[in-house]
Amino acid sequence: MARVAFIAHCMLNQNAKVEGGAARPAVWEPVLDLLREHGYVIRQMPCPELAFGGARRFWGVREQFDTPLYRRHCRRLAKLVAAVMAQHVKAGDDLVVIGVDSSPTMGIDFIPSAEHWAGKPDIGDDDSRLVPGDGIFLGELRAELAARGLPMPRATGIRHWFPHYDPDEERRRLEELLEPGDRIRPDD
Amino acid sequence: MTDVRSRRVAVVADSLLVPLLPELQARGFGAIQLPPEGLEPAVAAEWVEQVAEHVAEFVRNDYEVVLAGDAVHDAALVAALDALGVSPLPQYAIQPPSTSKLTPET
Repeated sequence: MARVAFIAHCMLNQNAKVEGGAARPAVWEPVLDLLREHGYVIRQMPCPELAFGGARRFWGVREQFDTPLYRRHCRRLAKLVAAVMAQHVKAGDDLVVIGVDSSPTMGIDFIPSAEHWAGKPDIGDDDSRLVPGDGIFLGELRAELAARGLPMPRATGIRHWFPHYDPDEERRRLEELLEPGDRIRPDD
Repeated sequence: MTDVRSRRVAVVADSLLVPLLPELQARGFGAIQLPPEGLEPAVAAEWVEQVAEHVAEFVRNDYEVVLAGDAVHDAALVAALDALGVSPLPQYAIQPPSTSKLTPET
């Protein structure tokens, strides 16, 4: 039995972040260090926003991204991730997911929201709000797993762009996630 | 808000990812993971296809992109990149071990 972490693409590749969002040159070490300490195998998920909007995309909020076409794009990538997860589940592995809680796509518990964002890209100061909810890719992944009879692995999101980010709280939350939990099985 | 991205990306074979991570980090390379061995062929092919799409976008925007491959998926990646009009990636030059490690301990 292996311990396997499905991580947001940008944990391994900060270059995939939206411009202005890369807090490290290359990788997000706090997560990778913990995964190594806890003996987790890494599985990097695709970056739906990079693949869809490109490297020079604008920042966005849930209300902008939540279109049928973007959901289909996310579902295509979610099918791939779910297929990989299914093989791990079949092998009896223990899975976790680590997303990004400031992302409209990869959020686990929080997503950015701003109903008035539209049009000319000069919104000025970021007045979006972080609201409870899962990102569009995560929602599609959850649906794809359900279609395959698989529950969503336990999951949490990185919150390094939260206004009052607390690295110690995040480390504790990640450590709680990485401790062995109930294994997911197709017939659960 | 300061963005400190390196604009350097290495596409890395799964077998090399963990051993190379410290070096990639030190040299400022973000990583894109290639599929592990043992996946169903169709799943591995789709994984390579989405990697190629990411790579094409970085290349299009003048990021430095290199390949640290182990030959398992290298040919498939070349084909997937070619389908997107992207040339094969230059090889990542793995750094030789420090000479201090070659000195017998006394």
